[in-house]
Amino acid sequence: MQLNHAQRELTVKVVYYGPGLSGKTTNLQMIHARTASEGRGKLLTVETHDDRTLFFDLLPVFFHTKGGYTVKVKLFTVPGQVIHNATRRVVLQNADAVAFIADSRRSAGQENNQYWENLKANMRENGLNAAQVPIVIQFNKRDLPDSKTDAELEETRARGKEPVIGAVAIRGEGVLETLYAVIQLAYRKMDEQAGLSRNIGLSEAEFLKLVFARMDLDGTQVSSWLASGGGPG
Amino acid sequence: MSGAGDSGRQGSPREETPRLEQRPLSVLERRLTLSDMLDTSTFAELVKSFAELYKLGVKVFDEKGNRLADIKSGNGDFCGYVFSFTEGKRCCTQTVARVKDGPLATTQNARAPHAPAATKVHGMIAVPCFTGLRYLVLPILWEGDVLGRVVFGPFVPEELGELPPSLTDLTPGIDLAQAGAYLAKIRRAPESTIVKVLLHFAQLLETLVAAGQKTFLTSQVHIEATLESNRDLEAQNRRLEQMNVQLKDMDRLKSSFLATVSHELRTPLTSIIGYSEMLSEGLVGTLNSEQTDYVRTIMEKGDTLLKLISSILDVTQIEAGKVRLTFEPVNVGDLVSSAVSSIKPQAQRKGLTLDLKLPARAVEVRADREKVRQVMVNLLSNAVKFTPKGGWVQVLVTEVKFQPELDAEGWQFVVQDSGVGIPSDQLEKIFQSFYQVDNSSTREFGGAGLGLAIVKSYVEGHGGKVRVQSELGQGSRFEVVLPVSPPPPRAVIAPPLSEPPPPPPARF
Repeated sequence: MQLNHAQRELTVKVVYYGPGLSGKTTNLQMIHARTASEGRGKLLTVETHDDRTLFFDLLPVFFHTKGGYTVKVKLFTVPGQVIHNATRRVVLQNADAVAFIADSRRSAGQENNQYWENLKANMRENGLNAAQVPIVIQFNKRDLPDSKTDAELEETRARGKEPVIGAVAIRGEGVLETLYAVIQLAYRKMDEQAGLSRNIGLSEAEFLKLVFARMDLDGTQVSSWLASGGGPG
Repeated sequence: MSGAGDSGRQGSPREETPRLEQRPLSVLERRLTLSDMLDTSTFAELVKSFAELYKLGVKVFDEKGNRLADIKSGNGDFCGYVFSFTEGKRCCTQTVARVKDGPLATTQNARAPHAPAATKVHGMIAVPCFTGLRYLVLPILWEGDVLGRVVFGPFVPEELGELPPSLTDLTPGIDLAQAGAYLAKIRRAPESTIVKVLLHFAQLLETLVAAGQKTFLTSQVHIEATLESNRDLEAQNRRLEQMNVQLKDMDRLKSSFLATVSHELRTPLTSIIGYSEMLSEGLVGTLNSEQTDYVRTIMEKGDTLLKLISSILDVTQIEAGKVRLTFEPVNVGDLVSSAVSSIKPQAQRKGLTLDLKLPARAVEVRADREKVRQVMVNLLSNAVKFTPKGGWVQVLVTEVKFQPELDAEGWQFVVQDSGVGIPSDQLEKIFQSFYQVDNSSTREFGGAGLGLAIVKSYVEGHGGKVRVQSELGQGSRFEVVLPVSPPPPRAVIAPPLSEPPPPPPARF
């Protein structure tokens, strides 16, 4: 988080982390497609010839608050391939929250675990306290055969404190729900650290409403969460 | 053994402090400026060609008011003429300041532009000049930030007829015909046309900024990632260095242990051999033949054991860096003959042919006599040990001549046998201490695996080289190349294969 009172600007950093080909870039593409151009920047992607992320993807979403602050939510993905660990660590620096995109297939279990450990290790290396940086787990590719069952997802949920969300990112399912969950936790962490509601008059409800103000929420749970102030967590 | 308790003093190699403090803020967390994302010189070229094409002045400023491009078109004479009047100069300066640094809002003389209905003007404003000319100003928006502004103009609005009183009142004595002639050089167009051109320019600019942002961010992140990898490697190096220090400590402990144990073994062994000698010589009474036989066996085995312990002591001396060479004039022929005769009894016992070839001319060199003799004896006893009954061992000494691999005058000592040979994958390892080609408990040949390690250390201490060729079942050939006059002895003789080569000297 970068809070600049002089320029009245708040920058929030959310990082999509996870194994290669788990759908991190697809998540950003879907958010990009569902957001009106006035509320977001261009989607910056650098891919190799076989569509693998080479450095990172970046999608900025921005809005102005009632209190006169400009808020920029920068969504990043890390490159998933094993060899790009140094880039992953650079992108992860100073993240306010992390969306961990896991592949739902049973065959991917081991890789999910490896990247989970890798995330924790890189957080430590970056001086981020893994207990203080909120993480949301997205189980992507729910439509594929060999996916874990809902009951198994429940088991994963029960094993930790992170919210767990099922998704089929390629069809946009679960993408905005994941964004909602991760943004909500990011806000709560920043509010705890910097007193956003007290110091810049930005409440959780206003923050969430403005993030999603220019997004097409049709067919998602986000509208009802926004109305009730609830969420998946 | 006093150092045994200190082995943990290097600390845990896994201890790592987070490296956050050392790192500057990543480029991903910095606010980028227009000059970060635009290649300013090619951008200025592009603006120039655009301005020429549309016959319009174009200026581009970044958010701090720095000029990135400034192309004038047609208005120089007119504006210069107006500027020559006192009041004209004042008003002109004011207008220019309003356009360049004034608010990007419809205040302070600015208004919304005349644009076709339903056209998004993205914050564009129109600023009239007191001369009747006009400017259009467009903020450069990027990710919700204003990164600068584009100024188009001045242009002559299509509807402008005569020069307005706001000009003529302030410039008494102005030559209207002259001013009109100058005015004709400036692009005249409907404001809505210029709005369209400006919006088109904004699109171009956005494309350039997007491409520039991508290039800038990726190249910077690439550098950051490379530095990050470098930090990783450095941390790994530190860990390895620590481990290396620990291993060396342990190695020293091992050597010290071996030296102590060997010494402790030798003392009682000397007594065993001494008393056996006294027994066999009948100093305490006559022995029958069977007793004599047994006592001789005890002496022989004791002797073997003593030699082994001496080798271990030699190696531990080498490893502890305690061996010093003393060079003196040596006649190689005498030395070789003496070494060969010491091994002759063993060779005869196995029925081996032992053949010695010396050069016609005597070889006189400088060397450490005892160490070179031991090199010869070690190689010879290996040859005899590993050559089955009825085989042959050849010893050859060459004349002194230039040895390319030493880059100096030198001589060779070669021992060749018809023995069991050495597997090719083990040729590298046989010079390591305690290495045995066959280290199984049922191996055929005895020994501690120290002879060749000692050979290599002593030869290298002389500035020489030892090499081996061998074929399994066919025999082996060891060649020792020694310089005629060795370099001054180093403070210590390094143990074989324990130190990495020194780094090459820095060139700059």
